[in-house]
Amino acid sequence: MPNKILICDDDEGILDLLELVLTDEGYSVVAELNSVKVSNLIQKEHPDLIILDLWMPVTSGDQILKTIRNTPAISELPVIVISASNDGKAIAQEAGATAFISKPFDIDEMTGKVNEILSSAQAK
Amino acid sequence: MDINDGFFSGITHQNLEQDFKLLKAALDASVTGIIITDNGLPDNPIIYCNKAFEDMTGYQRSEIIGRNCRFLQKDDREQAARYQLGEAVANGNDAVVEIRNYKKDGTLFWNELYLSPIYNDNGQLTYFVGVQHDITLRKRAEEELKANQAEMEQRVEDRTRSLREKEEYLSSIFETIRESLMVLSPELKVLTVNHDFIKTFKVSKEETEGKQLYELGNGQWDIPELRRLLEQVLPTNNPVVDFEVSHDFPHIGKKLMLLNAHRIELEGEYKDRILIAIEDITDKREIEQRKDDFLSIASHELKTPLTTVKGYVQVMDKLVAKTGDEKLHNAIEKTSVYIDRLNNLITELLDVSRIQSGKFKIYKEPFSFDNMVQNAVNSLHQASPSHHINVIGETGIEIVGDEAHLEQVMINLLSNAIKYSPDEKEVDVQLSVVSNFVKVSVSDKGLGISREEQKRIFDRFYRVGNIQQKFPGMGIGLYICSEIIKNHGGNLWVESEPGKGSSFSFTLPLTKSDLEEDAK
Repeated sequence: MPNKILICDDDEGILDLLELVLTDEGYSVVAELNSVKVSNLIQKEHPDLIILDLWMPVTSGDQILKTIRNTPAISELPVIVISASNDGKAIAQEAGATAFISKPFDIDEMTGKVNEILSSAQAK
Repeated sequence: MDINDGFFSGITHQNLEQDFKLLKAALDASVTGIIITDNGLPDNPIIYCNKAFEDMTGYQRSEIIGRNCRFLQKDDREQAARYQLGEAVANGNDAVVEIRNYKKDGTLFWNELYLSPIYNDNGQLTYFVGVQHDITLRKRAEEELKANQAEMEQRVEDRTRSLREKEEYLSSIFETIRESLMVLSPELKVLTVNHDFIKTFKVSKEETEGKQLYELGNGQWDIPELRRLLEQVLPTNNPVVDFEVSHDFPHIGKKLMLLNAHRIELEGEYKDRILIAIEDITDKREIEQRKDDFLSIASHELKTPLTTVKGYVQVMDKLVAKTGDEKLHNAIEKTSVYIDRLNNLITELLDVSRIQSGKFKIYKEPFSFDNMVQNAVNSLHQASPSHHINVIGETGIEIVGDEAHLEQVMINLLSNAIKYSPDEKEVDVQLSVVSNFVKVSVSDKGLGISREEQKRIFDRFYRVGNIQQKFPGMGIGLYICSEIIKNHGGNLWVESEPGKGSSFSFTLPLTKSDLEEDAK
């Protein structure tokens, strides 16, 4: 069973790109535009890793992340925060991100980070 | 004339001629000019003049006798004194006049003339005696005095007017200036406020001037920072420059103010007064904030599609790599370089705005300094394969700093070195640890920068004059670099000689833990 990655970004272009790249990398990808649906998707899909955009309408990435960190069953779930905002890194760190990658990112950097996090999670 | 009158009466006829001679001699000895005119003859001719009169007028007796007195006025006929004289002659009265007369040679002399009529026993007007004094000197002194007085009066008037004009000038500036101004006495009593103050703080002149500053408007000016500031202005004579005060006023709400205070000292007269200029920067700050917000959103929105473009270009590159199409691979590589450049430009725009509004932040984390430098060198090498970048030395240190921003500095310095040395292919990067600093120098052998220009290249939007056309750029790169280095507690400087190249160096202080890390 390939690792499952849940991606949430309100930009369809980035969502498609990440889906393509990570699927090529051999992962099973669930892509979601609407941040409100993330908590349901986590319960339903049980992803091994989440990639979250920061600035999204209604529920922002850091809000979702904080909820995850405060929910005992999933509090350890690896989350990569991605953002084009200058303050993104600080916000992501404060909310408890496993990693932060700024936009625009390098796809090799992205796959590298995902592989690294998932392999270390597997090792545990 | 009847010399039998007065004290001569009673003397004998024989002695008369002798007495007459004596009298004539006495008259000639007088320094007062005396003439007698005969009213019985036509046109009132002069029938007698003494020696003094000859001396006074410069005319000989022969030129005087038989003429009417008016010849002494020459062409200067329009004198009030002449009418006075005419009237006295016509009415047979006494007169004393000051009249302008002219000597034979034409020089003016002022003549104080006593005119007395002489009547015969029948009461008929027979003669006039004119007694004359040359009062030119007195007259001149009088005129000078008058002129002096007039001049003094004029000066006083001019001075008063110029003072009034100056005051009006200053007060019109004071009133027109669009900044709130307040003049205080040493006891902090409000002496004057200008129109802008009245408008900004919604008060009236009457309820403000003459009042104690801290008692104004229910103590709304009793602001601790302001108190501290004012207490130091008078004793130290140190002006207060651009002091930012935020205060919530009961009626007008929260105001952000920039205060400048000076002691007014003008030849002692205005000593010990305080001029406070209050700039209301509430709106300005809000506009800055909006601009900041706008640029944040704009850069975020620009970077979002750029992320997709960059990602797909990299996907394309991977696909092309499988086909081995070298040309297409090169084209894609070039595209990547320009996507990165576009991304850097967007970042810089936001950085400049943040630096300006004082919101520029750096996020420090430990990272390998040498790796960061190598990353920057690699991305530049990819962008400009024509140049060779030599990395000399290493720091071997993991430092705590903002890796992304420091990489931005390196990329900026490297791309400048490449950009401004189009004919030289070598750029050197020297890495070292000096005392408790890491030091990086980026040196090229390119165009170089004149001493004059070196002072200004770290200024915002400054571009070296003659290269504006040849080398595009926004002139913010070095400004941002110097701010980033400053924010790390480091120093960025340039050494350069036109025609020989430039060397940009920066140092970053190492924390104790950085050094311990290194020792491990």
